[in-house]
Amino acid sequence: MLTDLYTRRALIWAFANRDFKTRYRASILGWGWSLLQPLATLVVFAAVFSMVFRVQAPPLGNGESTSYAAFLFTGIVTWNLFSSFLNLSMTQLKASGDLLKKVQFPGWAPVLGASIVQLVQVALEIIVLMGLFVWQRNIGWTWILAIPILIGTALFAQGIGLILAILNARFGDVQYIVAVVLGALYFLTPILYPISMVQGHNVLLSAVVKLNPMSWFVQSMHDVMYSLTVPTWWVIPGLLIGGFVTFWIGFVIFNRASEDLGEYL
Amino acid sequence: MSTPGKADLAVSISGVGKRFKRHTDRRGSLKELIVRGRAKNEEDFWAVRDVSIDIPKGSVYGLIGHNGSGKSTLLKMIGGIYRPTTGSIVTDGRVAALIELGAGFHPDMSGRENIQLNGSLLGMSRKEINAVTEEIIDFSGLSEFINEPVKHYSSGMYVRLGFAVAVHMKPDVLLVDEVLAVGDEEFQRKCFDHLYALRKAGKTIIVVSHGLGQLEGLCDEVAWLEHGQLQQAGNTTDTIAAYLHRVNRDEAARNPNITATRPEDDRAGNGVVRVTKAEIVSAAGDPINHAETGATFNLRVGFAVSESILGPNLRIALQHDSGPLVSMISNHAVGYDFGTIEGEQLVDVAIEGNPLLPGRYRVHIDVFDYTGSTLLDTWNDAMEFPVRSQSGEIGQGFVKLPARFTSH
Repeated sequence: MLTDLYTRRALIWAFANRDFKTRYRASILGWGWSLLQPLATLVVFAAVFSMVFRVQAPPLGNGESTSYAAFLFTGIVTWNLFSSFLNLSMTQLKASGDLLKKVQFPGWAPVLGASIVQLVQVALEIIVLMGLFVWQRNIGWTWILAIPILIGTALFAQGIGLILAILNARFGDVQYIVAVVLGALYFLTPILYPISMVQGHNVLLSAVVKLNPMSWFVQSMHDVMYSLTVPTWWVIPGLLIGGFVTFWIGFVIFNRASEDLGEYL
Repeated sequence: MSTPGKADLAVSISGVGKRFKRHTDRRGSLKELIVRGRAKNEEDFWAVRDVSIDIPKGSVYGLIGHNGSGKSTLLKMIGGIYRPTTGSIVTDGRVAALIELGAGFHPDMSGRENIQLNGSLLGMSRKEINAVTEEIIDFSGLSEFINEPVKHYSSGMYVRLGFAVAVHMKPDVLLVDEVLAVGDEEFQRKCFDHLYALRKAGKTIIVVSHGLGQLEGLCDEVAWLEHGQLQQAGNTTDTIAAYLHRVNRDEAARNPNITATRPEDDRAGNGVVRVTKAEIVSAAGDPINHAETGATFNLRVGFAVSESILGPNLRIALQHDSGPLVSMISNHAVGYDFGTIEGEQLVDVAIEGNPLLPGRYRVHIDVFDYTGSTLLDTWNDAMEFPVRSQSGEIGQGFVKLPARFTSH
């Protein structure tokens, strides 16, 4: 797998370069648009959930106060990394169909290229998040741990994205199913509420939230960015290994199933 | 496993078949899978069936056949875009497929950026691309516009850049699908020069084309496919001739009455003679619907003479479909005399070794009396007939004159 990725790195990079250069080419705000959507979500959700539903965020790591907005944005950034990888993988493979009929190249190359460009957006969101925390004077060395967590998240999302992309290429319904499932999963991940709110209230609900892999990624980000604490020692290595294994499985499945890709796309 | 001769082969195709599933309904929905189960309304369709061809290294190999005969599918399998359903294809060396020039070009990116993208799509590393980028720009002749987005390019410029990238990836086997008919004359020549240079350098070129004349000049060998099956392979001239023979025969079977005449109204003349029939027949006298360049055929004219007359002059004008009069044939001009005639007459005018080049020809007939002063009958557009090529040669102009070269 790694040798495949290495030998076709020029191609992955060329696709990434194409997507990067053409993404916001004709818009004035450019990459600003990519931040507008998560920020708008943040403002609306922060207002509704903190004022209407009165969700209480846990105390900030600096021990001075709580900030529901900062808590919420930490979760949104992590979730967006996950969901955007899934959606991009599916749409990007479909969009490459014409090309796959004419030239022989691995179908994962445009998918990975698109994901690389998406990482630029994730980086922008992280910078805004860090700005928010600096403003709250909530800074800690644990931030550095966000890097392995995000890498794990990206690998995990890409693995699932590759599987969904190949399924979606065969069955056009998959993208609609994914939209529904992602909508539900969003609320079963501790993004809008701290995980403590479900624990001890409803056994079933809390079990579902615990079994949801995204809960682990989001919760770990809360720990290291918001609460400035270190998760139990095995969590971050676990997320990294889990992410890598998922990516590997996704890559293998994609390669097995994509041999006649050009014919049915 | 490999026989000694295999080492000289660029591509070895053995028993290759390609089956496509024909979907009668919208393909690939989950509903279809769940409700109807698999493979119910799918019909199998063999685009290529049991084809075996050996293509030697350093040769130019042509693939010919009708639309839908499987040529392009076979080419795509050689290029690895499709997998064969049966059999195997072994290629030796790097294969570049010019199925579509400029595949993957993004309209918003500059020519230079697209060279990177297109090059890496064709399998080049970044280092290789950088090494030849200037050469590519040079070859394409687009250095002025290379930093402009390609959406501002004309289709010719687009294709020139695509061709330039593909030939600069230094392929061992180059697959070309109907892409040579693009670009202006100058660039086409450049492309051909480059193809010849590649051949000289020992590269293998596989061409799919309908330009039979073009292929005849370029190919060492040709394979002819029909309904996915190999009909004939080998010598270029023979294979093309066999293919054309089939095409001509099929056309004859489809349109038995292609020589049908135009309406007989608007006739002039005093009515003593009525031309009643105009058609073409083979040298043996069998009805045909087209003539072939180089093959003797007969213009057959029938007319009725109501009162005994002395040797009339029958004139047959051949007009090219585009307007010009190609030839006026008359019995007086060649010194043929009908003598005194009356009643039904049937005349065959043999066009020896038919010098007419491929095209459509219209026939106008008139008949004058012996002196040439009285018009007895005239029939404009009595018929029209096509002339087809026997060899794939199209030629320019209207006739192939019996030219002979001598050096002193």
